[in-house]
Amino acid sequence: MRLILLDSPEEIRGNFYPLALSRPLWELRCGFTSLEEKLIAKLGTSDVAYFVPDYMADLYRAKVNHPVNDTSILEGDDLLVVDPRVKADGFNVATSGPSEVGLDEQGRLLYARVAKNDLAKLGKDDVGKFIAAAKAKLPNVKPAVKTWQYIWELILGNCEQITADFAAAGRDGIEGKVEQPNVIRGGKKDIYIARGATVHPMVVIDAENGPIYIDQDAELHPFSRIEGPCYIGKKTIILGAKCREGSSIGPVCRIGGEVEGSIIQGYSNKYHDGFVGHAYVGEWVNLGAFTTNSDLKSDYSSVSVMLEGQRAIDTGSTKVGSLIGDHTKTSIGTLLNTGSYIGAMALIMTTGTLLPKFIPSFAWFVEGVVTKGFGKGKLYETAKTAMSRRKCQWSEVDERMWDAVFEMTAPMRNEAIKKGRIAMLNR
Amino acid sequence: MATVEERVKAITARVLKLNPDEIKPEHSFTADLGAESVQSIELVAMFEEEFGIEMDEDAALSVETVGKAVEFITEVCGEQGVEAEQ
Repeated sequence: MRLILLDSPEEIRGNFYPLALSRPLWELRCGFTSLEEKLIAKLGTSDVAYFVPDYMADLYRAKVNHPVNDTSILEGDDLLVVDPRVKADGFNVATSGPSEVGLDEQGRLLYARVAKNDLAKLGKDDVGKFIAAAKAKLPNVKPAVKTWQYIWELILGNCEQITADFAAAGRDGIEGKVEQPNVIRGGKKDIYIARGATVHPMVVIDAENGPIYIDQDAELHPFSRIEGPCYIGKKTIILGAKCREGSSIGPVCRIGGEVEGSIIQGYSNKYHDGFVGHAYVGEWVNLGAFTTNSDLKSDYSSVSVMLEGQRAIDTGSTKVGSLIGDHTKTSIGTLLNTGSYIGAMALIMTTGTLLPKFIPSFAWFVEGVVTKGFGKGKLYETAKTAMSRRKCQWSEVDERMWDAVFEMTAPMRNEAIKKGRIAMLNR
Repeated sequence: MATVEERVKAITARVLKLNPDEIKPEHSFTADLGAESVQSIELVAMFEEEFGIEMDEDAALSVETVGKAVEFITEVCGEQGVEAEQ
């Protein structure tokens, strides 16, 4: 059986922006791993292929070792096409069997199991037509499959997912180096410190309320406090931070201050003091010293988020912090409102007041307004520098994808720039 | 009729909080007039609003003096079919 991950339609992907602007949905994290890793573990296959939005295909092809947007994989084997919104833990569909198409209440694809002998009737030149034909020609079912609807659900589900992933990983104990004195609270069976990881003296690892997984080559500096459930990714350095419960820090991050109930995708810096709570932070983000987000309104009402500025959506939760896209940088003292949406490739230079709840991608937020700033060229130069500091390379393929994101996000940005001009003229 | 130079000086004076009469064409925005990087962004935005033009950010920000800004804006107005003098 070949697993095909087919990214969701644009109207659904938008519910996972700004993180999904630059990656397919299955690359999003919850717990230790990505949604893809969870689906693969559940389905037990290594034969995987992907269909992503065209604008990110070249970049994604350069990152992975499986076929991307290659229609030749639509033949030759039984196929299981899965939409990444599907939650792996409740996905109990047999990987083999007669063909069937699982649809949600709106008739959108959740999965299509296509037996090899049915492939000929579906065509193989276009994945969109392939799915349309599958819906039309194969039996349709309405399965009891749970799905991710919005990006903040990953944040809100992170605590539980870390606990589940810890159990699934089946590891505990200390394989890394733990320098004394240290304090370990809770059962040691709820702690795993991987080989190559180093815990400096004067660190508190508190697994009293949930498991803690410190991955390979991570480093915990003195005066760090890690509260479970928590996952610290490979080669990440915790700089005396308080990592509170429900946090997943991806690989190669530098984390100081206080982080609670948040997901940091990877390769991002929050080196200094400041609080980030119930947030989802992308890759290559730099949060300047004292950058702080609110994750709870003072009247304890549920938090709403402006997705791509289109509409405010009630999250139904009283705890939602910020959504911050890849490559965004904040200046010292940035104050982010509850449920803020900060697009990708944005540059925030604050004046110490609370920011608007929506800042579009590629915005230069200067003196309280969105501007064009020095343009995307300067942002690309910064991205190139940031990546080279972690021995990663910015390429023309990156630039082409980001150019496409720039165009996609132009309407909201231009509107914000227009409002900013009016504010400047009225000063 | 206000010339391009007069309009550029008026905007510069407003953004940088200076007396327009003290601004000379040879003045550098940064070295002589004290423009910080964030003010440069505001200057470009306000020039675009004043003249009704779109400027390439990189090209605009490479302009160093008031006189060069006048030349640059005149050129962009010409390219975009906008009357530069009012």
